Amino acid sequence: MKLLTKLTLTSTFSKIATVILFIVLLPFLIDRVAFQSTNGLLKQQAKKVMDNIRNNGIDYYLQGDSTYGSYTLLKEEYISLERARNIYSADTIQTAQRIIEGDTVMYRILNQAFEYNNQLYELEIGRTIASISQYNSPLQKIALYVLGILIILTLLIELSFTRILLRPLQTIIQTKLINPVFPFKEPPLPIRTTTVDFKYLDKSLITLMNRIKEDFDREREFTSNASHELMTPIGILQTKMENLMLLNDLDEPVQEKIMEMMKTLNRLKKIVHSLLLISRIENDQYARQNSIQPKEMVEEIIEELQHRLEDRNIQISVSLQPHITLHKLNHDLLFQLFYNLINNAIRYNKENGSINISDAITPGGLYAVFIRDTGIGIDPADIDTIFNRFRKKNSIEGEGYGLGLAIVKSIADYHAIKLMVTSEPGKGTTISVIFSIVA
Amino acid sequence: MKVLVIEDERGMALEMEDFLIKAGYLCDLAFTAKQARQFMEEGPYDFILLDLGLPDKDGLLVLEEAKKICQEASYIILTARGKLEDRIKGLDLGADDYLPKPFSLLELQSRMQAISRRKSGLKDNLVSLGEFTINLNNRMALFEDTDIGLSKKEFDLLSYMLLNKNRPLTRMQLSEHIWGSFSDDDYDSNYIDVHIKNIRKKMTEYGPVDWLQTIRGVGYKIKL
Repeated sequence: MKLLTKLTLTSTFSKIATVILFIVLLPFLIDRVAFQSTNGLLKQQAKKVMDNIRNNGIDYYLQGDSTYGSYTLLKEEYISLERARNIYSADTIQTAQRIIEGDTVMYRILNQAFEYNNQLYELEIGRTIASISQYNSPLQKIALYVLGILIILTLLIELSFTRILLRPLQTIIQTKLINPVFPFKEPPLPIRTTTVDFKYLDKSLITLMNRIKEDFDREREFTSNASHELMTPIGILQTKMENLMLLNDLDEPVQEKIMEMMKTLNRLKKIVHSLLLISRIENDQYARQNSIQPKEMVEEIIEELQHRLEDRNIQISVSLQPHITLHKLNHDLLFQLFYNLINNAIRYNKENGSINISDAITPGGLYAVFIRDTGIGIDPADIDTIFNRFRKKNSIEGEGYGLGLAIVKSIADYHAIKLMVTSEPGKGTTISVIFSIVA
Repeated sequence: MKVLVIEDERGMALEMEDFLIKAGYLCDLAFTAKQARQFMEEGPYDFILLDLGLPDKDGLLVLEEAKKICQEASYIILTARGKLEDRIKGLDLGADDYLPKPFSLLELQSRMQAISRRKSGLKDNLVSLGEFTINLNNRMALFEDTDIGLSKKEFDLLSYMLLNKNRPLTRMQLSEHIWGSFSDDDYDSNYIDVHIKNIRKKMTEYGPVDWLQTIRGVGYKIKL
């Protein structure tokens, strides 16, 4: 899940939980508030009554009687004052029922005892609470609406703000992890952000990328220099041997020996040539400006490889669309790529096997060539490593020195061509060459 | 045949490469004197086409240096510098020809062919080889007006040997001049022998090919 989604979800859930808790607690809170304010009112009124008695005497209420009682028209409030023999309840505020004119009503009741002229009196003031709790559910409803809208509003604000906050992370992912294609051509640029954590992440990634590039460049330079330097002594040896062979008075065995040496030297030269080729490709030294017609190219390669096909009696069928032309490629490199792939399809084939070369436009509109053989196949565990340099599997007589597919890989990478290998050991291999160019 | 184009103007170089590939040459491009030097040290070339106005070194100095590294190559100077003394200096340094810019690519090809002929002592692009006629222009091997039907590489081989007639050519030389930096993964590969065998087979149907000689352990030569 994306970080933004996670953050939004977390905050949504916590908000909703808070709101639900609040709404559930609301009646209780309202009750508390109602009791508090009712208590306050009752106390105020009790104080007023006491003030009246102090100023005007007890008869202001009792008027000679031993009790006094009064209530409002709708019985929301009542007051009673009576002489008491002894105090049966302390000063309290409680919720209790009272029957007034046949109606049983819930009251919040204040009881207060006091002494006046050596006589004990008890004052009771009541106030209904029904009038408060009846608002509970509408209040809950309103709270739900208001808070719901508030949640949505804050969520929207948060969402856009988090998005802005997280933008540098997006940029880092895009510019440092997704976009760069190895080998990195341009030095990575630091992103602009005020968030220290992102700055640190970005800096670390740049350092890492630079280090990889340096290592890669060093290796590439070494390959290039070493191969280049090896060429001169090889050339000298070669000329010397060739001149030796052209002498007329050589014994047969000596000639044989020199021929063996030349063969070995030849092999060495080819390896160096291949390494140079790879390093030149990696160093961007080939222009990609040619147009090629795959059908024409494949046919030319087959013509060159005809003798190998005949040697092993391998049938080859080519069904490539004739009108396809691919642009902005390097002719020689593409030739080499297909040559090596077709050559491998022959080399790892069975006697009397077959090779099929076809093409198609992928669902994404890209042009793809498929080279299918009926050869020995590749072990699934080996598929990932077949493009490595000097990789050799199953020593087959006359096998190459393990750079053919490494060259193919370099050329493919150089042209943004995707290679896909599917294989079934014992049955054969299909290599798909998928061009990034729309045909 | 292998051509090295030393030209700093990419568009021009690519245009030439395209044309030369179509004309059957192998082509390497160097955009600077430094790149050119690397290429020259790594492989023999038949032609070096040199633009005098390079960014990193004076063209005439490059020519002087190149003549030491690639002694066998033929040099054609290409330049917009029209000064007579440059031209003379270039030719004095051993350039085989001089082509002022702008030039037509067809003219370039004709001049290259003329140099090849001159070097191998041929008079025109139709060369007789035993009972056969080789048309270097159309890239065809003919027997009394019938096309023998050699493949592209077979013709490349035959014409290269013809242009270097009476000279023993090693397999490595042939491979380098005709396949260039192309890399065959098979170290035991005998593709030169196979191509020679095919040439012999195709041509023997029409007439004797005793002019194509094998030099044991070394390579081949055309003896005329």
